[in-house]
Amino acid sequence: MQPDTSESRAPGRAIVACRGLSKIYTDGAVEVRAVDGLDLDIAAGDFATLSGPSGSGKTTLQNMIGGLDRPTSGSVTVDGEDLSSLNTAHLAELRLHKIGFVFQAYNLIPVLSALENIEFVLQLLGVGAKERRARAASALADVGLAGMEGRRPSHLSGGQQQRVAVARALVARPAIVLADEPTANLDSKSADDLISLMAELNARSGTTFLIGTHDARVIARARRHIEMVDGKVTADTTGDLADVAQ
Amino acid sequence: MLFEMAWRNLWRQPMRTALSLLTMALAAALLVFMLSFQLGVYDTMKSNALRIFDGFARIQPPGYADDPDIRKTIADPEALAAKAEQVKGVTAAAPRATSYVILANGERSYGAAIVGVSPTRERRVSTLATTVHEGRYLKPGDSDAVVLGDALARNLKLKLGDKVTLLGSALDGTIAADSLTLVGIFHTGIGDLDRQVAEMPLGRFQQSFAMGDTANTIALVGPSLSAVNAALPRLDRLATANNLVVEDWGGLQPGLKQAITLDFSTSMLWYVSLVVVVVFIILNTLLMSVLERTREFGMLMAIGMRAPLVGRMLWLELILLALIGTVAGVILGGGLALWYGHAGIAVGAFEGLMAQWGLPGRLYPTLSATSALVGPAVIVVSVAVAGLIPMRRIRRLEPVKAMRAA
Ligand SMILES: Nc1ncnc2c1ncn2[C@@H]1O[C@H](COP(=O)(O)OP(=O)(O)O)[C@@H](O)[C@H]1O
Ligand SMILES: [Mg+2]
Repeated sequence: MQPDTSESRAPGRAIVACRGLSKIYTDGAVEVRAVDGLDLDIAAGDFATLSGPSGSGKTTLQNMIGGLDRPTSGSVTVDGEDLSSLNTAHLAELRLHKIGFVFQAYNLIPVLSALENIEFVLQLLGVGAKERRARAASALADVGLAGMEGRRPSHLSGGQQQRVAVARALVARPAIVLADEPTANLDSKSADDLISLMAELNARSGTTFLIGTHDARVIARARRHIEMVDGKVTADTTGDLADVAQ
Repeated sequence: MLFEMAWRNLWRQPMRTALSLLTMALAAALLVFMLSFQLGVYDTMKSNALRIFDGFARIQPPGYADDPDIRKTIADPEALAAKAEQVKGVTAAAPRATSYVILANGERSYGAAIVGVSPTRERRVSTLATTVHEGRYLKPGDSDAVVLGDALARNLKLKLGDKVTLLGSALDGTIAADSLTLVGIFHTGIGDLDRQVAEMPLGRFQQSFAMGDTANTIALVGPSLSAVNAALPRLDRLATANNLVVEDWGGLQPGLKQAITLDFSTSMLWYVSLVVVVVFIILNTLLMSVLERTREFGMLMAIGMRAPLVGRMLWLELILLALIGTVAGVILGGGLALWYGHAGIAVGAFEGLMAQWGLPGRLYPTLSATSALVGPAVIVVSVAVAGLIPMRRIRRLEPVKAMRAA
């Protein structure tokens, strides 16, 4: 695993590069091109949404970028690492070091407290107990959950759980945070708060975000908007709120 | 943190975990108690059978076991017996001379084994003296005295004080003949002894059979059979130095050893079945929780936990479960074994195997390291090994598919 170098993550440099990326599912005789010959670059520091109708391939694309799934053809490079060259164990290492995941639900380990959930990642990384605790506590404070360290996920609201997931995704200082429908299970106030939080963290730390969503309010908060239909990118615009408001 | 997680995971389904623990604890307790009981009974059987006459081991000339010929002798048996008593694990040693003879009373005659013994030494090795119910046992200073089993005395129509004629062949090839006085009749409850054995003073025996100061065997006892078994290597050295050999309890009572082996193999079948059932129950529970938690495992793997580590966590849960369950079982089963080890378990008349070796009406389990630990250890090891099966499933798990699982 290459060490994280600030140079390779300098703003504007491509942190993710997809070339001719395809994922084809064959269900009996039926062939589903979930991702279809897609080219895409995500630049360091991007705060991008990936939108499109249900079944357009958002999750499949994110899974391939995150090293959770392997492409049928084409390549994915993350932070200088060609994923096709990595075996299963190395992919797990890559996810641990370079990717932060926020899923729609079931993000957290139910038997661990909020703090322990974040510490868990650091422990997998081999960080010593003292530093682990300090970093996890500060990550939790960064998402506005100071004082909630000892709470188990079942004693946190949906919004709070997603914040813990965001804190966990960020604590290892990943190259990119992949969030797949992070607000889908939240009420609109919590969803707003969560997306504001992510925008703020992106602005503060420069961490790259790719957020799969079809929530218009989330899309409205992003700087870059990637749209997919039938496994292909149909639009990729960079602009402020007004441009996408229609 | 893995241990911590495994521990907390165990209690996510408290009812299920409690039932699993109970299953294992009961199985382990049953194994501990049954094994303690069984081994306790075997000990009683062995001690009873061996203490009556044979002793826990015997020093004898080479080849004596296969062909107990009076001409195979031990020189200076008194000195050797004294040395044997110095061996750690041995408390008493008694020299004996033995020959097969005809005992006669007038017209009646029966074949019997006559044993020459030193009364004082003999009493410390054999409990036969305590089974004399008519007259008395031999005592130092006796010369022409003899004691007989009650069946033999009955067959010969002998009363106390009657003369018994002995006819055999002496060491030098001449005829050994003697006339003895019946001073006591014993009843051991063991048919062979009561029907065929007579004892007389060793000195008189040596004269009658022209064997000088020699004897044929030296019977040994210790505080327990296992103490003497542990002393076997030391006894072997002593015997070898005198051109003799040592026969252990299995050689003295091959029938008993066989019966115990057979009985134990039968019950082994039950023990193994019990362990198999327990392992299946636990494995089933584990598989259930693996299926329920597939989505969570997918998430763990997605955030960078490698599959083998997930597997190890699950295996740790299983081991914790097995250890807690069996430790509880050892305490429960061991407690019962200790309690009944004091109080004893009243049993009715025994049939077959047990009656044959004259068991008492109250039996005592003996808790030992073996009986306390072997069963539970087998459970833990079996569960640990069987637990590797679901691990393969985890290792093959793909995070995306796992997270999709309902
Ligand atoms: N494991 C799979 N097997 C078969 N088809 C799949 C699988 N995963 C996704 N698909 C199909 O691929 C297409 C894209 O799915 P997905 O990436 O989940 O879309 P989105 O996240 O945009 O809703 C859909 O048609 C879906 O049915
Ligand atoms: Mg999706």
